[in-house]
Amino acid sequence: MSDVSATMDLRRRDAADKLRGRTRYTIDRYLPGMLHAAVLRATAPAGRIIRLDTSRAARMPGVRAIVTAADAPGMIGIGIADHPLFARDVIRYDGEPLAAVAAATLAQAQAALAAIDVEIEPFPAVLTMADALASGAPLVHPDWRSYEVLLEGSARGGNVAWEATVVRGDVDAAFARPDVEIVESCFRVGRQNHVAFEPRAVVASYEDGRFHIETSTQVPWSVRNATARLLGVPASQVRVTVPPVGGGFGLKFDLAVEPFAALLARASGRPVRLVNSREEEMLTCLFRENADIRIRSAVTRAGDIVGREAVVLMDCGAYGGEQIFLTTMTAHTLGGNYRLGSVRMVSRAVYTNTAPNGAFRCCNGVYNTFALERHTDEIAARIGMDPLAFRRRNVLGDKDLGATGQVFEGDVLGPMLERMDTLRDAAAPPPARTDGRLYGRATTVGTWFVFVGPSAATVNMNADGTATLVTSGVEIGSGSMMQSLPQIVASTLGIAPEHVIVRAADTDAAGYDVGVGGGRTTVSLGAASLSAAQEVRTKLLKVASEMIEAAPDDLVMRDGRIEIAGAPGSGRTVAEVATRAQALAGPVSGTGAFTGAGVPAMPGCVAGHFIDAIDIPVFAVHDCEVAVDPETGHVEVLSYRVVQDVGRALNPRAIHGQIQGGVVQGLGYALHEEVTIGSNGRVCQSGFETYRVPLALDVVPVEIDLYEGAPSIGPLGTKGAGEVPILNVGAAVACAVANATGKCVQALPLTPPRVLELLLDRMQDLTLPHIADAWTDNLTRSHQTAPKT
Amino acid sequence: MGFNLTVNGDRLTSAADPATPLVDILREEMHLTGAKPVCREGFCGACLVLLDGEPTPSCLLPAALADGREIRTVEGLAPQGTLNCIQAALEDSDAVQCGMCFPGMVVSLTHLLTTRPDATRDDILMALTGNICRCTGYERIVEATLLALATA
Repeated sequence: MSDVSATMDLRRRDAADKLRGRTRYTIDRYLPGMLHAAVLRATAPAGRIIRLDTSRAARMPGVRAIVTAADAPGMIGIGIADHPLFARDVIRYDGEPLAAVAAATLAQAQAALAAIDVEIEPFPAVLTMADALASGAPLVHPDWRSYEVLLEGSARGGNVAWEATVVRGDVDAAFARPDVEIVESCFRVGRQNHVAFEPRAVVASYEDGRFHIETSTQVPWSVRNATARLLGVPASQVRVTVPPVGGGFGLKFDLAVEPFAALLARASGRPVRLVNSREEEMLTCLFRENADIRIRSAVTRAGDIVGREAVVLMDCGAYGGEQIFLTTMTAHTLGGNYRLGSVRMVSRAVYTNTAPNGAFRCCNGVYNTFALERHTDEIAARIGMDPLAFRRRNVLGDKDLGATGQVFEGDVLGPMLERMDTLRDAAAPPPARTDGRLYGRATTVGTWFVFVGPSAATVNMNADGTATLVTSGVEIGSGSMMQSLPQIVASTLGIAPEHVIVRAADTDAAGYDVGVGGGRTTVSLGAASLSAAQEVRTKLLKVASEMIEAAPDDLVMRDGRIEIAGAPGSGRTVAEVATRAQALAGPVSGTGAFTGAGVPAMPGCVAGHFIDAIDIPVFAVHDCEVAVDPETGHVEVLSYRVVQDVGRALNPRAIHGQIQGGVVQGLGYALHEEVTIGSNGRVCQSGFETYRVPLALDVVPVEIDLYEGAPSIGPLGTKGAGEVPILNVGAAVACAVANATGKCVQALPLTPPRVLELLLDRMQDLTLPHIADAWTDNLTRSHQTAPKT
Repeated sequence: MGFNLTVNGDRLTSAADPATPLVDILREEMHLTGAKPVCREGFCGACLVLLDGEPTPSCLLPAALADGREIRTVEGLAPQGTLNCIQAALEDSDAVQCGMCFPGMVVSLTHLLTTRPDATRDDILMALTGNICRCTGYERIVEATLLALATA
């Protein structure tokens, strides 16, 4: 019925204004009478607030309001409510908010911050996960037991904020088999900053007893609910609207600066603008977390993985946040890609006195895939098997079990590897290599998922033949709200996609939505939109069938008309039918809703998990060729190829754009984006001079093959395509560099100094003494699947 | 006191502190929010404007130093309601994602197209070195520029 192909490669409607500088992002919104806000942040990683006196600051010129911890009684979090808006008595990271000021100008607000009298008694800080897990370590949250638990079933304790385990089969027996090789690998990765070009920004006002928050976010409903919780007001008193967002990448998948502005707007009675400085963005970014990983496998010489165990430590920083959820994902990423005879993995989110980490495109999938693929190459080398042959033999196929016991459908990764062979073999042979550099290539696979979950949509059919799509979706740059959603609605109603008006997110206008991220826009919002459009279609066909005197089943909607199939030009225009329908029974509209159906896992396999299985897996195969300069340690990426499982490509050109962009973000992560934390607990990279993102001269055009046809519950067979392109870039580059140099790559990014150390054999073998040798000794409590309440 | 600015052909007077960065005058006094203050350190290129025809970061320029010089912002690169050659090519190529870097990209590339009609792919990459994009991975922008050069 839906001819979505008629709208393929639809161009974005927002491009022309973005190219002319007319688009008004949140940072471009200036309201009459608006005040400017600034946030006072702690300058110590751990301590106690002895004194916080705002009385002098309140008398400074232009100051209209000052708010502190007393104004925000609530606590928020994922899984556990461990996070207040302001540090109350205890300071847990350098940069933690202490107070916020609104004044007539930004300079006045900043001057007032300097006039707040603060006295802090410093405490010893735990800055690394090794520090945090040492016996007798100071606790980042001494009162962790008193926190409200939002999801039951996890182990936690001390500086371990959350612990998720997966156990399937008898791993001890597998490792004890006489016919296996035991391969052990350790890996470490640092943090990655999103560097969204629009910083986190908000304009808030307080009108008629309600907050109106205009903000740069991916998650309007999370902002609504979390702001209300922090402020101690009903969520219905918070309205969130979202202008075009200048880049997200997961940074804006969480509450940010909104509650400060909301509080200041209520206190001052004026609209309040708060925009993070670039330095604040660099220092308090909700980074992709740093992590330490140990993985061991028992593999037969024929190449079967009979047992696998792993410990993953992810640094959540001072508050749990996204990492608590991400402990779930280790089972599906580090435990993904390959058939495993038995498996046990523990994923621990660890508190440290550092800036909180968050979500970033493919989150922990990126480094778990790096670890898994490097480990896979080490296995293949140990048993003397070609690494590609090992992968072909072991990748998950139809009816294979995932780590948590879910049954995968369809052979996807195997055929994708074949597609990559074709793509690679079709390439021109490389020129003669006589420049003394070391050359290597690698092919890696990766598994990620679509973060399904609730979405709502309404389609209002207008009598002029246009339709208005109302959702809580946000255009963050990926184009889904500009391309796939109007394509889906237009194809269902047989109208031009230009005639589908897309309403910007407004929590007062549209139903609940989990947010734009996790590859879910086209899938979840798309499914809700499809369902809403189908309801409209049914209503229109009924009216049309009376007007045209034909059965609804004999009618088609195409080219703006409702006509008898096989008789182009018969029937009426959609506008005529909509007008008639409106006259008969009132305006036509439809509503749609979607959420993940929930795929079963094997009983008893998981503990502390937020999801037991993945509704929509997404697979990727990447191939990368590098040249390593032995004199400088510089790695040049010579070619990059991607075969990506997209289910069905509604807009191939848009997906190609996402893949090129995602791969390049991954190249930054793999090669030079490095975040370090000084002995003072502060992130060392405060701007673009020290945090090196990819430039035009660093990148190569990515060769792309979209793999269609894998099973998906997404609308029209779609899967999310924008998140996953970054998934195995770190893996592909690391494996290629290891192949080029013959050295054991255990850490990212592969900066020239690090590569030189490898080449000169000056890199010490990575040891992780804070990971106990026996897997069970890493658990706060033994694996048990407590009943969820 | 005060100083005069010529922006997109309009002559304007500002009473702001003469050391105020030009980008803030453009955005807050003149409501030209196309130029984006992304890094405020001259690295990212999102706030570029043409100053007497030369791409210049407006975040590093004290506004009064632009007195007597011709400023052209991204809003003034094409007649009202139209796109210039590179803007049209970028739209045709579906190059735009979040869009925050594009005002600066368009300024750089407009300059390249007018000064280097013979530019090669390498010249384009060089010209973009001062413009960071976090979304696109640059390739579409390069393709669009080649297209614009070919059709100009």
